[in-house]
Amino acid sequence: MSEVALSIKSVDKIYQRRGKAPVHAVKSLDMDVARGEIVALLGSSGCGKTSTLRMIAGFEEVTRGDIVVEGRRVNQMPPARRKVAMAFEGYSLYPPLTVRDNIAFALKSARMGSREVEKSVQEIARLLDIEPILDRYPSSISGGQQQRASLARALVRQADLYLLDEPMGQLEPQLRAILRGRLKNLLVDRRMTSIFVTHDQTEANALADRVAVMEAGVLQQFAGQKDLRERPANLFVATFVGEPPMNVFESRVMNGDRVRFAIDDGPTLDFGNADIPPKVRAAIGDREKVVIGVRPHAVRLGAGAGEARVVSNQWLGDQSHLAMEVAGKLMVAVSHAPIPATAGERVRFGVLPADLHVFDAATSAALSHGLEAA
Amino acid sequence: MSKLELQAVSKAFKAGKVLDRISLALEEGEIVAVFGHSGSGKTLLLRLIAGVEQPDEGRILLGGRDVTDDAPETRGVGMAFQNFALFPHMSAFDNVASALTARNAPGDVIRAKVEKVAALLKIGHVLGHAPRELSNGQKQRTALARALVAEPQILLLDDPLRNVDAKLRYEMRLELPSLLKASGSAVLYVTQDYKEAMALGDRIAVLSDREFTQIAKPAEIYGKPATISVASLFGDPTINLIPVAPLASPGETKIGVGGASVSLPPGFARLAGKSCVLGLRAEHIAVEDKASPDSFPVEVVAVTPLNEKTLLLLRTGDGREILASEAGTSEAPRRHGPAFARFDPRTVLLFDSDSGRRIAPQAA
Repeated sequence: MSEVALSIKSVDKIYQRRGKAPVHAVKSLDMDVARGEIVALLGSSGCGKTSTLRMIAGFEEVTRGDIVVEGRRVNQMPPARRKVAMAFEGYSLYPPLTVRDNIAFALKSARMGSREVEKSVQEIARLLDIEPILDRYPSSISGGQQQRASLARALVRQADLYLLDEPMGQLEPQLRAILRGRLKNLLVDRRMTSIFVTHDQTEANALADRVAVMEAGVLQQFAGQKDLRERPANLFVATFVGEPPMNVFESRVMNGDRVRFAIDDGPTLDFGNADIPPKVRAAIGDREKVVIGVRPHAVRLGAGAGEARVVSNQWLGDQSHLAMEVAGKLMVAVSHAPIPATAGERVRFGVLPADLHVFDAATSAALSHGLEAA
Repeated sequence: MSKLELQAVSKAFKAGKVLDRISLALEEGEIVAVFGHSGSGKTLLLRLIAGVEQPDEGRILLGGRDVTDDAPETRGVGMAFQNFALFPHMSAFDNVASALTARNAPGDVIRAKVEKVAALLKIGHVLGHAPRELSNGQKQRTALARALVAEPQILLLDDPLRNVDAKLRYEMRLELPSLLKASGSAVLYVTQDYKEAMALGDRIAVLSDREFTQIAKPAEIYGKPATISVASLFGDPTINLIPVAPLASPGETKIGVGGASVSLPPGFARLAGKSCVLGLRAEHIAVEDKASPDSFPVEVVAVTPLNEKTLLLLRTGDGREILASEAGTSEAPRRHGPAFARFDPRTVLLFDSDSGRRIAPQAA
């Protein structure tokens, strides 16, 4: 990649705590972000995503490794000199300034002409729907408005990188979808290289070109949302990304004349030789135990090898969620049309070879996705 | 006979009226989800039924008996009021049994009842465990078991999944209806999550502006919302609302949307000249590359994937932003630029601008 905007090279973050064991928050992280790319750091609390963002910003020291922004190694550089714009929790608005002056502050410091400053502030305020509060003080506006004001203050600047912490976290649902769309349009339009942290996969998928899924300080997968959905690297990613999550079952596998997956205490999915390509059979190898998975949207209802009792069938206005009891767990099927089935009744279900994911039972690494080896 | 009946119940505090002539009847084995924003009076409603608060006006009937003036403990009908919190120092068994021991039942009767409800909820094997040893799902079920063990005729649940992580909340949403049905209790289930209300309720009672704006089955609430406010509370993304002024033209009524003139289905002739609001769900708008007779030009401003759906933020010719959604996921996440939008006129919802109420088409 010739246009690398940010390069994270073998970075570790270890917090030393007096009298306690050190915390290894980020483990040998490698990541390149291209110029103009929008990247989400996604994970649950404590996964290392916020430590990563704070190291890029310069609020945390890098324990090992290098962070390079537009060719400059910034490890020792103070935040203000890194040419990054930030909207962070705890990096709050200046209380004595109005929202307007908060947003304009960095532009004025950069000696932008006052007419141009006013125009830029108006533009970003309109985009984020905060025009009516421009002349208010931070203490007199709601948490959601403060968040948008702080976002505006970051986005209005010229910077090499935009670092955003849960940018849409506190927004009312009525505004969220539209503001997300506008924000994405702005970032794409102006080719603003952006990295944002979120625990909300909807936000990550909506805004980002690529999503870095983190867990326990380790980058699990760094890919576009299509790959995360269709080719999850391991069981963690498979069951973390996707709403509702992928159905997974431990099963015995017989990889002989036919390929059979006998779900523990559940039905057996039986595929003919021709259904499962040789490369998938090779990836499964001579394992006896695997974990198989199928996305709720890919579960075929009404026909197939499995039969199960319907636990519930819920229509949410634009989609149906059907839960069945399989192997003592819930198996969920989702459809954009109503599903004709009622609780208590038994339904048949099946999984097409193209929709089947197979994972190693011990390491949880993906072995195959549909008709391809992982 | 209804298990629970509210007859024109009102309650005011110093700051003003919170509930204004609320009426609702709950039948045996029925689950009614009470849905509304925080502060809409949902919890107050449960407190009135439990007898912790007294209504200013109106009557409350339990099993046909007027209990409005009875103290909570003498309301006579089994009732459980739950928020799914457990006593941390007690075993799961004792937590469940605590609902019975207060009534001086004999020990073997208690044991039999606890084990019966535990089997139903699949927590029989963890009854000896302390709450901290239970998984989150087991904790939720233990709390539900405590609510159900006394076989209440009415179960009042106050947003029980509010503080539960998203994954478990989803699982509970799938499981709760059958568990509650198995108990036979009539259930009033308070929530501020519209999906939970739709998933759990046989009917939904939408509480807004001090009253039940609409009480109906989930599909009807979504498909035929009584007001603009109900329409915007149900649906993700929120329904598009566009002011329109229907015009009479020979033999039909038309509305202007984004510069296109769209014919309304029959039955709306009386709206000509009135100011209305058009409600259009994102999933009812199709975005196409080519123009067709009913389509109108739009600019695709942003494409944001959303769980097996793709949201498109569109800007119409007159500068309005609307959201369209497509099932499946777009292969071109940055597909921007000019396009054409179209909707089936039969899917439109029309509301009176002044009252906010939906206008149903008139039969010919």
